[in-house]
Amino acid sequence: MEEIKVPKAPLPWWAAGLILGLIQVLAVYVKGPLGVSTQFVILDSIVMHKAAPEYAQNHPLLSQEKNRKIGYGFWLDVGIVLGAFTAAVLVKRWKLQTSTVWWKTNRNGSLFGRFFAGFIGGIFILLGARLAHGCTSGGFASGWAQLSLNAVPMTIGLFSFGMLTAWLVYPKTPNIEK
Amino acid sequence: MATVFWGLLIGFLFGAALYLGGLAEPDKIIGTLRLKDFHAFRTIALFVLVGMLGTWILQKTGHANLDIKPAAVLTVFIGGALLGVGFGITGYCPGTGLACAAAGRMDALITVLGMFVGAMVYILIYPTVVVSLEQHFNYGKITLPEITNTSSTAWVLPIVLIGALILWVTAPRRKS
Repeated sequence: MEEIKVPKAPLPWWAAGLILGLIQVLAVYVKGPLGVSTQFVILDSIVMHKAAPEYAQNHPLLSQEKNRKIGYGFWLDVGIVLGAFTAAVLVKRWKLQTSTVWWKTNRNGSLFGRFFAGFIGGIFILLGARLAHGCTSGGFASGWAQLSLNAVPMTIGLFSFGMLTAWLVYPKTPNIEK
Repeated sequence: MATVFWGLLIGFLFGAALYLGGLAEPDKIIGTLRLKDFHAFRTIALFVLVGMLGTWILQKTGHANLDIKPAAVLTVFIGGALLGVGFGITGYCPGTGLACAAAGRMDALITVLGMFVGAMVYILIYPTVVVSLEQHFNYGKITLPEITNTSSTAWVLPIVLIGALILWVTAPRRKS
């Protein structure tokens, strides 16, 4: 069996952090801080307006004009997909993958398990992000960039439950390339 | 048109940087949550510090476009915790999930599908559960300097200086 190992990231932490921070500053300068998760609600909202127009028009959230409009945030999400795809291809790391090193180390490489957990995890991620008024980008990173009070309970909830969950799901540590 | 251009450009840079920086990499995220691999932790910390310093400078020169989210402390904590559970199971968050799916990870694509379902759950419970929950402990769209009646400078400079110092002192040194 080939040895599995968590590979190093293409960029060192200081370059990655600096670049991400500068992109945040550019975003704040041009339009508004980075955020991702609102668009999931907007796309669902557009579907609901088609599928159940009466429900959508009387819904306190969906009836708001801003929640059915494709705008800056939507194009930002499209950009993320294009940018990540291009970067992965350029550094020759684009690869069809179905699981992760940590999952294979701890969960015997069960593919169905990874997909099922991933789907349930996705539900938690977006429901949580909307309740918190922002995800790891919009709530945490942008929240702290603007010193928003919102970022404090968000950070405590995110990292305490994130660490606890990861500890429960992934007790065994795989090889990590330093 | 400007909206489409800037959205796509900033998103493109963000997606590429998330990937190249190892944040759009579930193994790096889980490594950080398990306190075994500090690459993602250090990257995120510097991302926040640079963003904070730059936003403060833009604010001082009158060029910042801010978007403060309401601090409904209880709901935000519950939301953060649920997001944390999903984050801890998958190693993805909304932005990195999209980026990882684009980089060929099929499990991330499944997580993105789950996210659309999660958004629908939020929509369905919004009129009943969310509206009433948000009435508790809601301080509105307020910042830490505002609620403590201090200046943003008094927050930003110490946080950035101390944060940068800690990152520098604890930086992994290359063995020669």
